[in-house]
Amino acid sequence: MRLDVGAARILVPTTIRRGDVIDVRALIEHPMATGLFRDSEGHPIPAHFINDVSVTYGDREVAHFVWTSGLSRDPFVEFSLVADREAPLKFVWKDNRGGVFTQQVDVKFVA
Amino acid sequence: MPAFTRRAFLQWSGLACFMLTARRLLALAPLRPRDDVPWKVQQVLQQLFGDRPMQPGHVQLDVPTVAADGRVVPVMIESDLPMTANAYVKAIHVLVDNNPDIHLAEFRLTPEVGQAFVSTRIKMRMTSPVRAIIETSDGAVWGTAADVRVTINGCG
Repeated sequence: MRLDVGAARILVPTTIRRGDVIDVRALIEHPMATGLFRDSEGHPIPAHFINDVSVTYGDREVAHFVWTSGLSRDPFVEFSLVADREAPLKFVWKDNRGGVFTQQVDVKFVA
Repeated sequence: MPAFTRRAFLQWSGLACFMLTARRLLALAPLRPRDDVPWKVQQVLQQLFGDRPMQPGHVQLDVPTVAADGRVVPVMIESDLPMTANAYVKAIHVLVDNNPDIHLAEFRLTPEVGQAFVSTRIKMRMTSPVRAIIETSDGAVWGTAADVRVTINGCG
């Protein structure tokens, strides 16, 4: 299966009102290789996983995750957020080989 | 009178059988006392929280009892602790006893998330207890654990 490493999606509800506690879901395509396995030719597969995730809402960091290779491939995370301002919600994923992937969505209120 | 009659033999063997069964049943009953934390996990806990005691309660851990595929095990952790500016859940830790990396993930939160809740998917090498441990801003540590049976190992 081919993998588009770093392709990420963030999902927030379509209708948000000021002050709602919303569900934020984020998924990024990444092998999350542990380094403990070998490929079909017997070469070891080097460890390659996301170890640091930062979530910024507007100008403040609201959550920070420290991960290991123990998360599943294409790591997914869901958490809540108090939508008290219209601002971009930005994710930055960093992996152990220096890869940095970002994605953001705008938190907008319905009229 | 012969010392070893057929009746005596049957009585004794019946008693022996009963005792063996009873012992097996007794061993089955408490599958695993919750408080016996393996040494390797205790070391990780010591590193994370020092001497702060881990109290039971306030943490709800939702994992499947049987995971068909150890590569993708859904984990949901929730707490009823408040998320206010001066008292909030600072971090949620996920530990899997029998994984190469015991301390699997740490989710640091701020009061702005509104609710101490995290859901994700993890890998499990084999059947193991999964521990969810919550650290609050005032330093209290709350934890819970659940056993997950893994039928296909998943560190791939």
